[in-house]
Amino acid sequence: MEIPYVVNPRKDTGLFNSKIAIWLFLASEVMLFGGLFSGYVFLRLGADYPWPERTLPVLPGLINTFVLIASSVTVVFAWASLKLRKWGAFKLYMGVTVGCAALFMVLKGIEYNVKFHHQALRLDDYTVIEGHLAYEKENGTYVVDHHGNKIEGNRIRVETSGLTFNSVRFHKSWVEDLLAQAAHRNTRITLATDLAGATTEGGPVEVLAKAGEPLSVELLERVQAAHLAARAHNAALRTADLRAKWADAKAANPGKRDWEFASDVNIDTAALAPKLLTEHSSVAFKVEPPVRFEFRPRDIREAATQSRLRDDTVVDGTLLASPMVFHHVDAIDFRHLAMKAVEKGQDPMKAIEDSWLIRNHAFAREAWQWHQGEVAKLEQQLTDDYGIDPQTGKPRREPTAKERYRIGWKEFALKAEQAGGVSLGFADKIKEEFMGPNYAARGEETFPHLEVPRDEIRFAAKFTPAWNTYYAIYFTITGLHGLHVIGGALVLAYYLFFCRRLYETNPEWLANRVEVAGLFWHFVDLVWIFAFPIFYLM
Amino acid sequence: MADTADDIRKSVRSYLLVGAVLFIGTAVTVLVATVPWLDVGRHGFDVWDAVLGLAIAATKATLVAAVFMHLNHEKKGVYWIFASGLVFVIALFGLVGLAKFDPIHDPFFNDGPPAPSVLENSASGG
Repeated sequence: MEIPYVVNPRKDTGLFNSKIAIWLFLASEVMLFGGLFSGYVFLRLGADYPWPERTLPVLPGLINTFVLIASSVTVVFAWASLKLRKWGAFKLYMGVTVGCAALFMVLKGIEYNVKFHHQALRLDDYTVIEGHLAYEKENGTYVVDHHGNKIEGNRIRVETSGLTFNSVRFHKSWVEDLLAQAAHRNTRITLATDLAGATTEGGPVEVLAKAGEPLSVELLERVQAAHLAARAHNAALRTADLRAKWADAKAANPGKRDWEFASDVNIDTAALAPKLLTEHSSVAFKVEPPVRFEFRPRDIREAATQSRLRDDTVVDGTLLASPMVFHHVDAIDFRHLAMKAVEKGQDPMKAIEDSWLIRNHAFAREAWQWHQGEVAKLEQQLTDDYGIDPQTGKPRREPTAKERYRIGWKEFALKAEQAGGVSLGFADKIKEEFMGPNYAARGEETFPHLEVPRDEIRFAAKFTPAWNTYYAIYFTITGLHGLHVIGGALVLAYYLFFCRRLYETNPEWLANRVEVAGLFWHFVDLVWIFAFPIFYLM
Repeated sequence: MADTADDIRKSVRSYLLVGAVLFIGTAVTVLVATVPWLDVGRHGFDVWDAVLGLAIAATKATLVAAVFMHLNHEKKGVYWIFASGLVFVIALFGLVGLAKFDPIHDPFFNDGPPAPSVLENSASGG
């Protein structure tokens, strides 16, 4: 079938059909991104925490903006080259466009990756701490999970003496992880008692597994199979019995409604008992000798003597101190704490002095004192530069809440440099703009070590959509925009690599196709023109 | 307009010009947000920074739409389609406004409860 009006315009619209189509699509895209941006405004106006303004590194965003604008210019030139029938020029311009798209996505990928590995933590008193977690170490070597991956220093530790698995819901990979931890700590997880019961109707009691049998996924699966078979068998017996009882009752009560005699229709449990098979809904194991097992915080609901995993495994044992261990703290933020203090009518500076972090950690006290010196310098400079407002008697310009209450990684770096510590070269500093602070080079004298007791933690997350609504809407809009970049680049790359024959047979058609894809590409650029200042500069 | 080879040769200049303006506009956006003495309004981010930043972004967006997307010389149908999309976007931003809009001004609700001292006075007085 030939598609009509792909080269020549239709008489009534004056346009070739694909142009109408792409504009309809772009109108719907305008509404989609418009809705998301209005969602951003809604979240920002309604935020009950200090909005993290100007929090993203500007340089990668700026470069990405330049890259996208450049690609928008080259895609127009690619189209113009086709119109002028210059295939070589078209290939060059389109190649640059697709290259720009790839560069954009690489930079975006680095930006996302840094966030996914950066830890944020809100304490009970609303102090926010940011940094990198340590990896668990024992006797100088890293502890690894059963996949061989290093374990982050953010675990709930239980001195475990017993484990009871739910034989239906147990999560295989966690069982393997427990086995790996048991092997690492030289303990044995063995079945606490004989698992015995009837496996055939009216049959003898059989031993499914003997006490002392070591824990394995295979054993749990065996119990699971027996349990599910028994459960299905027993349920079928009960159903059949109940059906028979109903039939009898209906025959005995002619003319009556079901509800009038329903309370008399019951399963005869005693008569059924000998025919039932033994169900094993849970399997208890003991851990000998008791050792420390570690669990991800999101997987366990911990309590003093008995904890529970998300797969219903019951962990018997004493809860141990389970601090969250920062290898490197790279920011301390008192904005939220100050906001809460003001809401309660308290003095924010007093509240900060009384915070858990300042009271318990010398490095934090020292950093805070140094920071106040810097704020005083800034205040003085602003007063010198802009003067005092004669009407109010206050300085015309004052430091922002962020400048007053947040000690970011650049401040930590500056403090260490002033103290004669590590100072990096220009190239390394540019690299830090993309990859975040260079912990290895700057070391612990710049970014200190910190252990936070579990009791002090209100909420913890990586810099993912989970952390706050700012990151949620940031990842939603930039992620969707990134998908548009990928989709657009695939179409443009198709024209670049697979349309030589179309160019030779019907160049005007190809030009129209490139124009339509170009319209989409400009729209993608247009979204970024708004996304960049809104997320990076406001 | 940009249909014949001659027209296209003529518009190349305007494409380059718009590209340059976009680059400069981006640089200006970053400068007014990061250089202290170019900061409008209060020190640091405030509503005037938002107005200025969005004004520059809107100018850039208009240039892209008008020149790169040829909206400066399109057929009527395209304008109708595009405008109908824009109407809904404006309505969506209006919905945000509705969420914040409250015609009844009650200082107790809008500005939080009165200061404690006021409460204490009225309690002792009554």
